[in-house]
Order: sequence, then C-alpha cells, then structure tokens
Amino acid sequence: MSGLFATNDGDGTAFESAPVPLLELQGIRAAYDAIEVLHGIDLVVPAGRVVALLGPNGAGKSTTLNVACGLMRPTAGKLLVAGRDVTGVPAEQLARRGLITIPEGRGVFPNLTVRENLQVATYSGRKLSDIEAMTYERFPRLGERRGQVVGTMSGGEQQMLAMARGLASDPAVLLLDELSMGLAPLIVEELYTIVGHIASTGVSILVVEQFARTVLGIADIAAIMVHGQIRAVGRPADIEHELSSAYLGGEKESTQ
Amino acid sequence: MNENLPRVEEFQAEIDSMKVKASGSANESKLLLLGVLLGVAGLALAVYGGIMVQNDSNQYNQRAFMATGSFIGIAMIIAGAALFVRYSMARYLRFWLVRLVHESRANTDRIVDAIERGSGLK
Repeated sequence: MSGLFATNDGDGTAFESAPVPLLELQGIRAAYDAIEVLHGIDLVVPAGRVVALLGPNGAGKSTTLNVACGLMRPTAGKLLVAGRDVTGVPAEQLARRGLITIPEGRGVFPNLTVRENLQVATYSGRKLSDIEAMTYERFPRLGERRGQVVGTMSGGEQQMLAMARGLASDPAVLLLDELSMGLAPLIVEELYTIVGHIASTGVSILVVEQFARTVLGIADIAAIMVHGQIRAVGRPADIEHELSSAYLGGEKESTQ
Repeated sequence: MNENLPRVEEFQAEIDSMKVKASGSANESKLLLLGVLLGVAGLALAVYGGIMVQNDSNQYNQRAFMATGSFIGIAMIIAGAALFVRYSMARYLRFWLVRLVHESRANTDRIVDAIERGSGLK
C-alpha cells in the first residue's frame, strides 16, 4: 500500500524530500482481552500530509490511533515511526519526541484555568510565556479567557485548548481523535480551518473522524475503516462512493 | 509544501536515537527454544549420569555422577519443561481464542443470512 503514497499527489509534488513515511502501521492486529478489533491494518502517513481515517462507530478508528501513538500494544504487526520499528515503545517517549495525540474527549483539566492548563504543557521544556504567546496568536479566544476555569468554557473552546496544548509540544506528527465530537458544525469547520493551517506548516496529521465531510476538505489521503479493516484508501474525491457504502452498509467492494 | 523539513529531520534523528527493546513475541520464541534446549541437555546429563553410576564401582565417583547427572540434569529438565509449557501454552491459548472469535463470527453471519433468507430480504 505504501506504493500508493510513493507516487505524485494531485498538486504534482512528490515525496522525494522525505521518502520515509513519518508514521506507518504494518499488519497491525489489536485486541481487548480475547476480542480482536483490528484485523491487519496497513496505514501510511507521509511527511507533511493529512490523512483522514474515516468510518462508522465501532470500526476500530480510535483503537488504531491508540496503537499509532503507543498507548496500546498491538498483538501483531509493526508500528514504524520515521522508518524505525517502535512497536511497544511507551506513548510518553514517542510524545516527548514529537508524536503528539489530541485525544477524544479533549483531556483538558476542567477545574484549572486556561493558563494553568497551558502550564501543564511546559513539561516539554518550553517556557510558559512562549506557549501562551503562540496559543493566543493562533486562538485569540483563548487569550480572552486565559483566567477562566476551563470547565465553564464551551466545547469548542475546550477543544481549542486541547489543540493548543498539543501544539505547544512542537509536534512533527499530530494525531487527532474525533475533533468534531459534540460540537456544532460551525465550530467544527472553524477547528478544521485551524488544522488546515497547521498542516500547511508541514506537520503530518492523522485525523480520525466519524463524520467524514468535515475533514475531507483538508485531507490529502482518506482511508475508510469498517469492522477493524481498512476497506479503501485514496484521494478524498476518489473514495466518495466507498464512503457512502461503508456508512450505509453496502456491498464489500474491497479496493485494498 | 513542507516548510517543516528541519523539524521532520530532527524528529527522524530523535527516533533513530531511541533504544527499542525486542518485541514480546520475539522474546517468547527465544524462551520457548531455551526451554527445549534445557530439557534436552538435562535429559542427556541424567542419562549420562545414570550410565556412569552403573559402570563405576567407586562410591565417591558414583556420588559425583549422581549429583551432576541426576540432580542437575533433573533440575534442568524441570526448568526446561516449565518454560516450554508456559510459552507453548500461551501460543496455543492465543490461537484457540482467535479460533473461538472466528467461529462465533461465522455463526453470527450464518444466522443473519438465514434470517434474511427467511424474511425474504435476500
């Protein structure tokens, strides 16, 4: 499958600058106790690209993300980061080096203020003043609410804070889990515009989404996942049909 | 497009510098092999000790052969067998669980198929 990403993309640029994909899952199988939920996942995130992992509820998207960030150990297969086999390496070690996850449900501290939440991100070695400057420039609304307790902010603002905290660690690869969860469509659009800006700076991004339309606008590659397997991979425009059939339970026309 | 190239190179260098342990399944097969080798070596020692005890009338020599052949050999057989059982059982049970899940899934598919046929959906 990596052959697909080794070719030129739509805008004519090739990947000769960084031929080794920054993140690659090879034949990943994962299980919760006796129940296997991933049945051989192959997925490649090339440097500087946005890959959207789409699929209905229960398809195994979040589990794939957990394996990709090192939170969950696969029962078989390999996790390659920058071409190196890092299967079984703890998530915190990968995060320290720049493989950053923004989890589903945001993971912010609701009883701390915006500023205190950002202070948590200083573990990465950056100064709070630098983190604050970068955050308030990218998310002006957080600047207005810097002294507010996070639990009293809207879902969109909390998601912005989660993103800001992730970005404070200077990610090389960013994993986003269900950014749109529980948010109004307008807010989701705003958040994805920000993700698009982050992607344009060259950060490789893997986005997991249940609601596909929101993310297709910024994705270079989309993969559709159903029942723990990747059913189709391609450019967003090419897999529209597959997308409908995956969500509505159509025939299995595997293009793997 | 990739303005972030220095960061990507830095990231690649940091990942390269990481010390990564061998995966669990690789260790598992090594320990399984160690169990087999220990068992075989222990058996060989026990047989050798037994033969030497029979063929030597000197009591001191007999005790020495009993110690190396019987005690050490038997201890090695027990340790080897424990390792072998532990790691071969792990493999077998894992396979068995996968098989169970596979069968239950196939059964569900058959039931859904039968229901669809019965209700005229197919």
